Amino acid sequence: MRHLRYVSLMAALTCLAGAAEVAKLPYVYTKWKHITTADGLPNDHIFAVKSDGPRVWIGTENGLAMLDKRTGKIKSWGEKDGLPWRVVTAIDVDKKTGDVWLGLFGGGLARFSGGRFDHWHQLNSGLVNDVVYGVAVQDDNIWAATTAGASRFNTVTGEWTIFTEKNAPMEEIWNYNVAVGKGKVYIAVWGSGMLEYDIASNRWKDYLDPDGEMEIDLYRDDGIVHVIVTAASPADDVVWVSSYFGACRYDGRHWRGYYNQDSGLADDFINNTKGRSADEAWFATDKGASAITDFKTNTWVTYTRDATGKGGKAVVMRDRDVLETVEMPVGIPHNFIINYDIDGNDVFVATAKGLGWGVGEGYYPGLKQRPKMVAKAKGAAVTKGGAE
Amino acid sequence: MRNELVFVAMAAAAALTAAPKKPVYVGVRVCAGCHTGRKIGDQYSKWLHSKHSQAYAKLALPTGLEMAKLSGLRTPPQESTICLGCHATAWHAEDWEKDETFRIQDGVQCELCHGPGSEYATLEVMRDRQAAMKAGLRMPDQEFCVNCHVEKGSHVAVTNRPPIDVKQGWRELLHPLASNPAPGAVESAPALTGVKGPKYAGVAECGKCHRGPMLGNQWSRWKLSAHSGAWATLATPKALEIAAKKNIADPQRSAECLKCHSPGASAPRLESFTADEGVSCEACHGPGSDYMSDAVMRDRRSAKLAGLKTPDRETCLGCHQSKDFNVDAAMKKIAHPTKLPPVAEGERYKTPIRMALRPDGREVYVTCEASGSVVVVDPAARAKVAEIRVGGDPTGVTFAPNGRLAFVTNRLDDTVSVVDVASRKVVATLKTGNEPHGVLTDRDGKLLYVLNTSSNDIWVYDVASLKKTKTLSAGNGPWSLALSPDSRRILVTNMKSKFAPVRERFSSEVTVIGTDRAAVDDRVNISDANLMMGLAWHPRGEFALATLNRTKAAIPMTRLLQGWTINNGLAVMWRDGGVDEVLLDEPDMGFADASDVAFTPDGRYALVASAGTDRVAVVDVAKMIGVIRRLPEQERRTVLPNHLGYPTEFVVKHVATGRNPRAILVLPAAEQALIANSLDDSLGILDLGKMEMVGRIELGGSKTINRQRLGEQLFHNAFVTFHRQYSCNSCHPDGHVDGMTYDIEADGIGVAPVDNRTLRGILDTAPFKWEGTNPSLSRQCGARLAVFFTRLAPFTPEQLAAVDYYVTTIPRPPNRYRPLGAALSPAQRRGKAIFERTTTNDGRTISENNRCVSCHFPPYYTDRRRHDVGTKLSFDRTGDFDVPHLNNIYDSAPYLHNGMAATLEEIWTVYNPDDRHGVTNDMTKDQLNDLVEFLRTL
Repeated sequence: MRHLRYVSLMAALTCLAGAAEVAKLPYVYTKWKHITTADGLPNDHIFAVKSDGPRVWIGTENGLAMLDKRTGKIKSWGEKDGLPWRVVTAIDVDKKTGDVWLGLFGGGLARFSGGRFDHWHQLNSGLVNDVVYGVAVQDDNIWAATTAGASRFNTVTGEWTIFTEKNAPMEEIWNYNVAVGKGKVYIAVWGSGMLEYDIASNRWKDYLDPDGEMEIDLYRDDGIVHVIVTAASPADDVVWVSSYFGACRYDGRHWRGYYNQDSGLADDFINNTKGRSADEAWFATDKGASAITDFKTNTWVTYTRDATGKGGKAVVMRDRDVLETVEMPVGIPHNFIINYDIDGNDVFVATAKGLGWGVGEGYYPGLKQRPKMVAKAKGAAVTKGGAE
Repeated sequence: MRNELVFVAMAAAAALTAAPKKPVYVGVRVCAGCHTGRKIGDQYSKWLHSKHSQAYAKLALPTGLEMAKLSGLRTPPQESTICLGCHATAWHAEDWEKDETFRIQDGVQCELCHGPGSEYATLEVMRDRQAAMKAGLRMPDQEFCVNCHVEKGSHVAVTNRPPIDVKQGWRELLHPLASNPAPGAVESAPALTGVKGPKYAGVAECGKCHRGPMLGNQWSRWKLSAHSGAWATLATPKALEIAAKKNIADPQRSAECLKCHSPGASAPRLESFTADEGVSCEACHGPGSDYMSDAVMRDRRSAKLAGLKTPDRETCLGCHQSKDFNVDAAMKKIAHPTKLPPVAEGERYKTPIRMALRPDGREVYVTCEASGSVVVVDPAARAKVAEIRVGGDPTGVTFAPNGRLAFVTNRLDDTVSVVDVASRKVVATLKTGNEPHGVLTDRDGKLLYVLNTSSNDIWVYDVASLKKTKTLSAGNGPWSLALSPDSRRILVTNMKSKFAPVRERFSSEVTVIGTDRAAVDDRVNISDANLMMGLAWHPRGEFALATLNRTKAAIPMTRLLQGWTINNGLAVMWRDGGVDEVLLDEPDMGFADASDVAFTPDGRYALVASAGTDRVAVVDVAKMIGVIRRLPEQERRTVLPNHLGYPTEFVVKHVATGRNPRAILVLPAAEQALIANSLDDSLGILDLGKMEMVGRIELGGSKTINRQRLGEQLFHNAFVTFHRQYSCNSCHPDGHVDGMTYDIEADGIGVAPVDNRTLRGILDTAPFKWEGTNPSLSRQCGARLAVFFTRLAPFTPEQLAAVDYYVTTIPRPPNRYRPLGAALSPAQRRGKAIFERTTTNDGRTISENNRCVSCHFPPYYTDRRRHDVGTKLSFDRTGDFDVPHLNNIYDSAPYLHNGMAATLEEIWTVYNPDDRHGVTNDMTKDQLNDLVEFLRTL
């Protein structure tokens, strides 16, 4: 059935191609699945999602869940099952061991390994604070971004190291997120920009808003767009950064900022970001899922859900010009996005009303010649996307 | 710009000036720079004449070795932090905390009592006592002395003398300043570094090489001789009296006196020589500047040409001119050969622990803990054919599937020895986690799994590259592992149960590793079980068996008479994850310390070893499964695991073994099994057809059973317990802890539960028990044991003496977080400052009796007294508890008297709300982390 729908979509596109202008356009996810409490999730407020081979780990406001992509079945764990705390705000998977590390909002840090939950919190361990927003695995170390600084736990030696304003350039200690790149650990800090930790030298470097203006960006592309940073996501050799006041990209030398006013971003209030490559990143806004799909041309696709029903739209934009609008009978589950993960061609979107699974059949990176839709009365062309 | 730089430099300099300097140890010779001579009170000479100055050297005596043995130490006393803790100064300091003038071999120096002196050891500061004390000078009282001069069992056992009377010693040690003191220094001839000819280099230069047992402990022998005090003697009243008769005012400055009391004092010297060393090496062997280099000294002829003299009678008689002087006896007395006289080695045992069959079936490798070797046995010839030296405490052993390599875990060294089977040589050594135990490869021999029983993890190595690839989290104390017949999973037993709060049920984990991704797939909980050790898969792979104890720790141990306290049995772990538990005890006979299990090749029988009763139980597998399956679910879960009657239905035979059988290895081709009798150094041969012992292979251990070995045998045997339900080892595996909290006495259920404490290094930490009411080990292991634990006639006096002796010698592992002399990590260094702090973060003074170091005084980090730290609970009889020692504290969780603190952190974050267990509530989280990091180094 799924295959049939895809074939239908492609056939429709092919038919339209005959009549429409062919242009270089990005891939558009038109097939969305919703994973909600109806499917077995313990809660629809999804805070974290992490793909792990055939498994997708889902952190919710009331428990941990695991989606088996092969069977579609969901298994979940609550406090009665040993989950140390009900609110799971962050997930990372140790690729070597398969252990799943959980950040718990108010409950500290947990490891789910072979069905066993291990629990570290500020009373029984060296974890600096129990409000954990982000978690990341770096070799034998586990990093936790907490509301009172960052903690690093060496799983071999058992040593805990705390990073706060005492030993890191944190003007504020409210750590929002942590991610691991090549030889670096990136921490997003509320009010202190992005921090970069060099693993080899144990040195920190901070990236602050050069113009120091909280409300406005005086000089475009002069640095990070704002110091209230919500996430930093390294991909290839760049770092994608989200903030509550826009997004940006850093290639080690140049910054590039993005705002709703000059890009396809659905909104400047961005909860999170996930870089897919140096050209593509997904931004979790409060008004939809926005993905820059081709850095060089500033081409974006923003996915939203309609106000009523399950339907949604994907709007393809370059700068602020709408190139295409694809209507879908099933869009993303909700427009308030908290988290993403990308798994091969697929994308998983954590929203305030369930998990969205964007099936990326035929996905291609960047741009590709394909039919461009004939514009409707005022703007974009409309393609009927295949969906369920 | 230039002005800016100047300003910055000035600011930096000001900051440096303002920052309080960390005092460092300068060594006794710096103190001697002023505290020498009658005008100040001859303090330096008094010290040189005291036993304090010889304290380090004394550790080289044979008595020192015996004391170390009785303290569970394996390193030479002069390299042991425990011994150095009272026999040396600044043993715990990092290199940067010691000035170049400091020498550890000077023993108990001024700064051990008065504090590191760099900031107060100047004339200007020392002239003002208050200023000196502000700069770090401590003026200790007698209580301070007691920290070291407290009765130590190991010392009393060897010397048969009580500790020094501190009051008396205090009087003897008093070294007041003279009235109107005037500083004086040791005087020597000017250093003549530019002058040709041989010069005195000083005994410290000689001592750089001539120390330690490999060179006859020569420096220590000199230090303990009268020669080393020859210069100091000149300050004694008797010397002054003799000098006065010769009109010599100050014999320490008299050439006539120094001629024999410090021959180098008036001779050409290097800066390293000082007169105070008295009659040292060069007094007899000639000034050493030209021969003292290592290159010259390695060639006797070259050394002789460079001035090394061989002293003879005349050398001695040059000074010892008394008619009564017996030169031959004196020369004999001070003889200091490079090679120490051979010491009777005593009995050498093997203690076989584990076995592995070479894939071609022709050889069996047997790890022997006591001899640090692998004994190679030819099972067909029933003989030992070789022995391979490996690392310390070899434990686990396995072969690569192709039979070319064998892997041996060395529990003491934290290594795996990789043995080339063809050459029987160790060809590589792998670093492991803490205390590696079980070891196994996967079916293809690509990955090697090593269980680290102290760090609770499993290290996975790539066999081709011998590189570690990952660390898997295990349960508590991973012990044995077994590959399923289909090779898809590896089960791992964990010896200790998971932490459970006081009086709550506990369980143990069996870790399930999926070999496809070499990751943990599952963790099976075995309810109410602990000490899970032996493990084997049924040949058909339907289930595996693991040995276990079921310890009723929350019930008074006096309930032993009702068949309760510790039961022994098996976990039946089904392939689908389900678990059944059965006992192997019978109503009138326990099956103490079930240690290993194996199946006959046809899977019909399971063989289970009881290390505590010296037997192997033959379990009819079909009958056991039949019992399990016929019971209703409820009975299967609640009755069967506790029922002493069911074993009679499936245990078809008990076969007597040698002493302490700990491992079973089935030889399929021979239809035999080998039983490793750990404490009589043999392998028993069990015929699997007749189920009878048909032979024995000797591994070469001594047949003489000395006191220590007898004690070890008694410790591991359950004969002393009612119905032989358990042995000492059942609660103290490896002489350590099982992580359990016990209700011991018959004072009501739940009253005064106590955390199990380690026996490692126990002798010097009396009194015993958490309430500190047992003054001696003999009471602890004698009458008390019988009344509260075993409910049978106690050990005989001879047995008790042997058990006590063995218990004191239970070795303690080296500290994994800080080898002797290693630098501290930044976190550990900060933690040390917190441990030693005297003020809170906001500057309030912490009362002396509430500082960490006051009660946890080195080297054991206990003052061996009782204190109330606010941890008394409603069912405790008292709030005063014995201060536990902190050595290797990281491996004896849980903590506090009843084990209520699961981690070190919880001691302070949860159980110290009123700052009665040290002042800790002002500390920030990172400070507490630092403190914990430091505690791990103790």
